[in-house]
Amino acid sequence: MNNVAQLFFDAASLGGIYAMAALGIALIFGVMNLVNFAHGDYIAVCVFALIVPSSEAVAVMFLGHAPAVVLIPMLLGIGALLAMASEYVVFRHFRRADPVAMMIASFALGFVIQNGLLAVYGGRPKAISLWPDLNTPVAIAGASVPLLQVIVIVATLVVVCSLALLLKKTRIGLEMRAAAENFTMARLLGVRANVVITGAFALSGALAAAVAMIMVTQTGVADVRMGGQIMLVAFIATVIGGMGSLPGAVAAGFLIGAVSVLLQAFLPLDARPFRDAFLYTFVIVSLLLRPQGLFASNTSKPRV
Amino acid sequence: MHSTHTQKRLRALSTPVILILILCAFVGLVTLFGDKSLARMAAQTMIRVVFVVGLWIFVGNSGVVSFGHAGYMAIGAYASAWLTLKPQTKALFLPDLWPWLAEAQWPVLPAAIAAGLLTACVALISGAAILRLSGIAASIATFAFLAIVNTIYSNWDGVTGATSSVVGLTRYADQWVTLAWAGAAVLVAAVHANSASGLALRATREDEVAASASGINMYGHRLLSLVISGFFVGVAGALFGHSLGVLNPGSFYLGITFITLAMLVVGGVSSLSGAVTGVLVLSCLIEALVRMERGVEIGDVAFALPSGAQEILIGVVMIIVLIVRPTGLMGGRDFQWPKFGKTT
Amino acid sequence: MSKLGVFDVSVRYGKVPALNDVSLHVEEGERVFISGPNGAGKSSLLGAISGAVSTSHGRIEMDGDILSGRPPEAIARLGLSMVPEGREIFGALTVEENLRVGVGIRRDKQAIESDISDIYDAFSILGERRHANAGALSGGQQQMLAIGRGLMTNPKLMMVDEPSLGLAPNIVDQVYETLVALQEERGLTLLIVEQSSARAARVGGRMILLRGGAVVGDGDAAEFAQQDLLKEAYFGGSQKETAQ
Repeated sequence: MNNVAQLFFDAASLGGIYAMAALGIALIFGVMNLVNFAHGDYIAVCVFALIVPSSEAVAVMFLGHAPAVVLIPMLLGIGALLAMASEYVVFRHFRRADPVAMMIASFALGFVIQNGLLAVYGGRPKAISLWPDLNTPVAIAGASVPLLQVIVIVATLVVVCSLALLLKKTRIGLEMRAAAENFTMARLLGVRANVVITGAFALSGALAAAVAMIMVTQTGVADVRMGGQIMLVAFIATVIGGMGSLPGAVAAGFLIGAVSVLLQAFLPLDARPFRDAFLYTFVIVSLLLRPQGLFASNTSKPRV
Repeated sequence: MHSTHTQKRLRALSTPVILILILCAFVGLVTLFGDKSLARMAAQTMIRVVFVVGLWIFVGNSGVVSFGHAGYMAIGAYASAWLTLKPQTKALFLPDLWPWLAEAQWPVLPAAIAAGLLTACVALISGAAILRLSGIAASIATFAFLAIVNTIYSNWDGVTGATSSVVGLTRYADQWVTLAWAGAAVLVAAVHANSASGLALRATREDEVAASASGINMYGHRLLSLVISGFFVGVAGALFGHSLGVLNPGSFYLGITFITLAMLVVGGVSSLSGAVTGVLVLSCLIEALVRMERGVEIGDVAFALPSGAQEILIGVVMIIVLIVRPTGLMGGRDFQWPKFGKTT
Repeated sequence: MSKLGVFDVSVRYGKVPALNDVSLHVEEGERVFISGPNGAGKSSLLGAISGAVSTSHGRIEMDGDILSGRPPEAIARLGLSMVPEGREIFGALTVEENLRVGVGIRRDKQAIESDISDIYDAFSILGERRHANAGALSGGQQQMLAIGRGLMTNPKLMMVDEPSLGLAPNIVDQVYETLVALQEERGLTLLIVEQSSARAARVGGRMILLRGGAVVGDGDAAEFAQQDLLKEAYFGGSQKETAQ
């Protein structure tokens, strides 16, 4: 029984991180058909914003000193600004271009950001302790769960619900949903393309910052390459969820979290290092079975 | 009518000849006038030509962007290492190899060809699945493939040495050997592109729907091009290992995926000459930047770029080319003999 | 000054020309039909006016403002509304959300609400299904919704691309009745793409005939309908069939 509860919490908190990262990617894809490979690097930048720039192995807190009430909005702001800046500098020039060219450009942008971080902070992973108290275990349902896992699950729910409210109840949310479905038609009705796209990038960047805070608290490590792995999983969640579908991305994020926790728990010991290979194989198989995504409704147009 | 058609065919076949001459001139000039490190750079450049031309055979003709080719490269590189390393070395570093492989000690050329063939087989199997998808979904699936290969090769301790490097490979891949393979890749790429299958495939690149409506078996042609592509990318992997003498799974991941895609995009993805031009131009740029990172003296002032500047600048160049000249430097054109006489 | 002026406008897709130096004028409150065979450039013309398609040459003006070169959202804000071919409603949004997408350019809150209730009065089925997903509506209902949505930006000039496409004749009658009533009520200027000269003549208005990307005729819709009838009588088939 304990084990089941433990697995559940592991799966839900991992899935929560994946879901948030996938939301960030799905939002941009939905609005402008961009597969944004730089998203993982937004996460890495937010993590490194916590510490003083230097290539020393020991990390000295910079923004990380600030109390949570200041730090959280500040980091969300940094993520949003970074994403908006990348849209303004790079992606805005691709409005009439082929989505494939835009995808390659985002890959290049991610590479630039990653090497920028590498130049400033050096390549060695650094230990960071942000909010270490959150890793103290608490007992829930007979399982010993780090407080952080509970926070992650709650935070994911809060983020997903507030995003849903924003999309459902606000003017910009309505415009984003309309633009995601038919961008040209939305513009013909006076929806400002730049406002909607900038808004989507800001939200996406803020989501990246949220993921960054959770990851760094959980792992205690800042690594220039940390965005790559999470980005890959988030992509996969986006694809499985049906490209551009936000509820689909969330559901698929949780699904991948669950599958990967279950693989970790039940794969034979020898096969465990290959867990991710099984995970990615599962992705290709699910794409083959349902190219429109596992959670895409039948009425929605295929977008890829 | 007939003669102009023949002339057109001849001109199309002049492309690989010109490209091979350019490659020979490049290697010849570098060997004549450069130092040892430049000769190594020439060998690296030719390996990239083999890789990028291999990549082009699939991406350039099908229009599907692949992020997975670094994975195929890893497969070729390790296959050649398995076949050529001394049995004693393998017993020490790669104890879990299958017995016949552990005892094998092949000459380098058959090993390179075998590495290419193994990669082609993997391309056939993986492509049979991935190419059922199209567009962005297919690209994402190739990315998943890359991650699968990387995960396996980074963890398969007794067979690949995992993240610790495999050392002791014969360093036979100098600029001349790699030039020969680069020439072969260019030739095969040109022949494939002008074959019925290659032409049909390029028709699907222009308009998927119309091509499939006119009865073109897009899946089959894509798969064939991926298999040929896989062969050369596998050979490029083998050459890569035998030029550095060291193998590490980290060499076959995002870094090389990025650089090779950059070369393809900067040169122009829709022509073979674009692929070759991209490799030569970016390789020279990289070499220049690496030297500037080490420090150069202009007059009395010593000047050095910060490390990492090379990658950042290449990324910036790639983005600018994508914005300003989305068709690349070659703009989809090929080098050809000038037209003679009356032209239509 | 004309409501809408199109001066020497050309549109090309790559190297393929779609419109060649087209000029035309629409007066305030007028109802103008654009007609012509497939590929004549009707949709390209509407696209060029609305800003969805970029022009390679020429100038487009509305009320003295130059439209060419502006993005579609800016043109919508100047008072031009577009009901596109195939309706292009937002299927994942509810009926009411569809109507509200276009109100972002308006500041008159009360008028927005009364406009919405006017639309529900005019098309009672939309009112009944206001919270249903628009994708679940029938073709005719979607056409009504598209027209209603076009009205919600409070346009001075509305362009409707092939409102009869894919609809049963009695539904088409209903669509045109509504359009005419709305025009009279609001003083709208209407530009409608309609293949059938007979249909246009029954509704009444001016007709501009496009062929091969150029204007080949301009006059009363009834005259064109008469000519088409004559041609049919002479050649024993509709104009379209003889062309093939």
